[in-house]
Amino acid sequence: MADPELKSKVEELIGANPVLLFMKGTPEMPRCGFSMRVVQVLDSLDVEYGAIDVLPALQPLREVTTEIADWQTFPQLYVNGELVGGADIVEEMFDSGELAEALGVEQPEAPAPTAGPPAQSPPLQIE
Amino acid sequence: MIAAALPGAEVEVIDETGNGDHLRATVKAPQFEGLSRIDQHRLVKAAVKERFDDGTIHALSVKTAT
Repeated sequence: MADPELKSKVEELIGANPVLLFMKGTPEMPRCGFSMRVVQVLDSLDVEYGAIDVLPALQPLREVTTEIADWQTFPQLYVNGELVGGADIVEEMFDSGELAEALGVEQPEAPAPTAGPPAQSPPLQIE
Repeated sequence: MIAAALPGAEVEVIDETGNGDHLRATVKAPQFEGLSRIDQHRLVKAAVKERFDDGTIHALSVKTAT
């Protein structure tokens, strides 16, 4: 069972932050590729969000999110108090424009950060 | 396993590493109708929970459709 004190703290945070990301590492230094992908999506939407590094208390937080949202893995993105999803769902909703809509922001014109490698200069040729 | 939990579902599973522990599943199921994505994923994850608990699967990417 989850620690009741931690659980109420988490619920308070989810209630206080309209957009809240539980992730491994920090937005500046993600420690997991899935967390990094969600950070990239949020950054490209230019949305303000709170971020919580779960690594210092991974197992207790896992127990908490299992109880409050029936979800065990991180990252987890909460919007207006509801779990939206992990990296797969966030990216899918970003690509379809649903995430921008849920966040009340404009969909950027630029392609998704994960859509492919950025344009590169042509390969060097050896004459 | 997913198909057994969601009768009528079309399931495609890709073994990303060749070890069978990092999987990518695409699931199309009539049960998803009217559910949010997160609830669709919850159904899929619940169907394979046993395999996560016993360590057979470490990672599962899910894509759902109705």
